[in-house]
Parts: sequence; C-alpha cells; structure tokens
Amino acid sequence: MDIFLRSMSGGAGNLAAYLAAHVLLCLLPAFFIAGAMAALIPKASITRWLGRNARYRVSYPAAAAAGSLLAVCSCTIVPLFAGIHKKGAGLGPAITFLFFAPAGNILALAYTGSILGAEFAFARFALSLLFGIGIGLMMAVLFWRDDASHDAQTDALFAQQASIGAAPLGVLLSLVAVLIAGTLKLWPLTATVGTLTLPLPWAEVWQATLYQWVPFDAAKGEEGVSLQGSLLILLLVLIGLSAWKGLEDIVEGANRWTWVALGLAAATLLVAAMRLTPVPGGVELALTGRALAVAAALVAVLHHARRLEADAWRAWLWEAWRFVKQIFVLLVVGVFVVGIVRQWIQPQWIQNLAGRNDVLANAVAVLFGVFMYFPTLVEVPVAHMFLDLGMHRGPLLAYLMADPELSLQSILMVSAIIGRRKTFTYVGLVALFSIVAGLAYGAWVDGMERVWIIGGLGSFVAVLVTTLGWLLGRRAIPARV
Amino acid sequence: MKSVKILGSGCANCRKLEAVAREAATSAGIDAEFVKVTDMKAIMAYDLLSTPGLVIDEKLVSSGRIPTQAEIQSWLA
Repeated sequence: MDIFLRSMSGGAGNLAAYLAAHVLLCLLPAFFIAGAMAALIPKASITRWLGRNARYRVSYPAAAAAGSLLAVCSCTIVPLFAGIHKKGAGLGPAITFLFFAPAGNILALAYTGSILGAEFAFARFALSLLFGIGIGLMMAVLFWRDDASHDAQTDALFAQQASIGAAPLGVLLSLVAVLIAGTLKLWPLTATVGTLTLPLPWAEVWQATLYQWVPFDAAKGEEGVSLQGSLLILLLVLIGLSAWKGLEDIVEGANRWTWVALGLAAATLLVAAMRLTPVPGGVELALTGRALAVAAALVAVLHHARRLEADAWRAWLWEAWRFVKQIFVLLVVGVFVVGIVRQWIQPQWIQNLAGRNDVLANAVAVLFGVFMYFPTLVEVPVAHMFLDLGMHRGPLLAYLMADPELSLQSILMVSAIIGRRKTFTYVGLVALFSIVAGLAYGAWVDGMERVWIIGGLGSFVAVLVTTLGWLLGRRAIPARV
Repeated sequence: MKSVKILGSGCANCRKLEAVAREAATSAGIDAEFVKVTDMKAIMAYDLLSTPGLVIDEKLVSSGRIPTQAEIQSWLA
C-alpha cells in the first residue's frame, strides 16, 4: 500500500510540476502556433520548391522547411513524404523531410526549450538539420536507381504557387511574440513592476493542504504544487470543458463557448505570467514585465486575427484544438507515468550506463531510443527524468535524436512506402548519426576545445563525402542527388 | 446516387470530415454512397499533399482541410 501511494504521489507531483507556469507559457502558445502553421500557411508556398525538377541546393533546404513549418501531424507527414518521394524531388529530400519533421517543428522545439533549456533545443535543431540533410543525401546516393525510375506522371502536384498573406503572417508573428515573451528568462521580462496583496485568508491553508497532498523532495529535483499551479490547473480544466462545446464544431462557425474558451486561454497565459505568492493573511500578486509583454502580444494577436477571413480563423482554431486533443491528453498521461517510473529507477543505473560521454554511452542511449516508443513529445519529459537521474547531456541528445525519428510507427510507415531494404539503411544511418551528434554535443558541454569538435565533425563529414564519392565513382551513370 | 470517398489514414481530421460530409448529405436529402480509403497507395493516386481528402464522383474536391457543410452540398448538387 505504501509503495502504491509513493508511486501515485510521484506521478501526481511530476504532472503538477509540468502544468506549472513555465510549461504552460510555452505549450499553450505553441499549440496555437502549430494550428496556425497547419491552417494558415499555404502548402504550395513551400512545396513548389519540391518538384522533380528542383535543384538539390533548393530541394533539400525546402524539404527541411516543410518538415519544420508544415508537418506537425501525421496527416501531413505521410502524404507529403510519399508525394515528395514518388512524384516530387525524390528519395533524398523525402528522407530529409521525414527526419527533420519530428525534431524541427514548433511544438517539439518550444517544449524541449522550456523543459531542457534553450541551448539544448538549439543543439537539437541545428544537429537535426545538418544530419537530416546528410542522411537524405546519403540515401539519394545509395539508392540512386530509385530516383532514376521516377514514374512518368506530371509535376502538377508541386507546380502550384502561393504566398502567405499579411493577416496570417501577422497572426503567426504575434503568436511567436507571445511564446517568446512567455518563456525568455531575461530582464525586463523577469522584473517586478508592482505588487498587490489580496486579502484572501484561506490561501495559506490551501497552500499547506496542497503540499500535504503532493509531498515532494526538492533534493531530487521534484517540485510541489503551488497555489498558482492549482489555479492554473483549474483554468485548464475550464478551458477543456468550454473548448469542447465551443471548438468541436468550429468549422461551421463560432458560438458563445468559443469566446469563453479563448478568453480563458488568454487569462491562463496572463495568470501564468504573473507571480502569486501566499503571504500571511492573503496572496501577494506581483505584476511582472512578462505579464505586460504577454498582454501586449495577445492584443497584437487579436488585432491581426480580426483581419483573417472567416474560413481561415475557423480552420486555425480547429487545427489548434485538434492538436490539443491529439497531443495534450497523451502528454498528461505520459508525464504521469514517467513520474511513477522515476520512483523505481536508481540513479546509479543511469550514471553507470550513460553518465559519461563516450561511444558506448551514446550507443546505449540510441538503442533505448530505437526500442522505446513514446507518443509525440513524451520523449521530452522522459529525457528530463534521465537528466535528473544523472545522464550526461551528450547521450541525452543522442537519445532525443533517435527516439522520435525511429519510433515503431515511423519505421512501419516508411517501409510501406519505400520498402524494407531502404528502411533498414535509413534506420542504420539514423543510429550512426545520432551517436555522432551525441558525442559532439557532449564534448561541447564538457568544454572541450571548439577546434577539436569542429575538426571532429569536419572529419566525419569528410569521411562521408569520400565514401559517397567512391560510391558515385563506381557507377557509370551519375546519381541525381 | 453520388459516390463520396474520404481519403485518409484514420486521423482525427478524416473522421471529422466523414461526419461533416454525411451530415451534409443527409440534411440536403442527397442519396450518396460513402467509401473510406485508407490505403496510402490508393490515396496517392489522387494528387494531394495532405489528408483528409474528399473525392466526389472520382474528382478530388478538397484536401488538407475540412470544408463546411454548405461547401460540400454545393459540390454534391
């Protein structure tokens, strides 16, 4: 019984910590941004660079951009992957797109940044981009025959042109401003503008009750539920209920509940940006620079959103709501389970296996990433748990590179489209590149001379290029990379 | 009798599209046969870059979004 209680409180504590202010300030705007990207960016504005006649200098960066801007969900990933491969620029850009999409989209980056730090998110982004293009090029060279046998269909799919309008662009940029204002840890955002003490005598009692319900051990990096946290959880539940009534049929038009849900979402962001501290006899409300900045950015979002056409804003809200339904529930369950599991893992195990930054530790991390399948974004709290338990940041990045790219689901999907032999090659390449990425980032964190890291990465690339050149040289017909 | 095909691997948007399309047909009193296409090869036979796709009488009328009931009724008419 005691064991059961300990597990449950571990799960609840972990969940409460993730629903705290700093995570909400990142996730809530990120869902709206993801929705806006899916609904407001015309796909043709990027896919026109992915046609079969595109040069590789254009098609590989365009494939990466498509991965980061268009592909937040499998509804887009699978058809676009199949389309680029069969009717467009070929296998290489399709693989680049596939590799980069799970790591380079806004939800993954924002979430990684808020949980594991901005530096880590940047390393994940940059190395995925570099290696995504690298793996795409290698696949194109290895299987050049595939591209030579393009089916003779028209290029119409990728010939459409479109550009993004002023109002959608304004909405996107001001949403990004909300995200930045909410998450950046810089003065003047962190400054306190003024404080106000609300006479709420029950606040202290409630805080004591919360700490009693969810006991925590600060030494193990756990966080309890604060008064502010409990208020945010309440607001989230209210958003969920009103969104269900207001956003489920949004394609047919808005109703009263739509405005309630959106108002609550804005209120949640503002509450999360302020600081509420229980003091004797009441609650101290601190107005921060962050709250002012978030409020200003929200006004900008409203200003631009009013200029959107009815179809556009309805589609935007629907996509945002769909992402919430699809991802948030999984995330809540996943975080809860991670909290339970964490009670059972001894830090020594992790430290012995992956506490250092060497080839073995990185290989173990990649292997774990390949065999474990976590639903979208749950890999981030899992990574956070490993970090707390003493995993080195190098192997941690290797794990984060391999896990979303090589889930069981994606392997099955890829092999259905490009066949088993190419899929195994792809899996092998991803494993190799992930290990190298982990080693490089780990060396960077350990403060190794920058020259050595760049030299090491450079010689890795040089070996690859030489191998590629040799493979190309053995073939009479030059591959179309 | 109209033939309506819903293209999609079974994600949330495809289910929503099917519900909206069925509702549109019923409320306009149009007799239509609904087919769900989930096989990726069959889906790619219609030129589209993202699901869900809506095909009416073998013609792709929308892809990557959920049209309103009024739109679907105008295509069905």
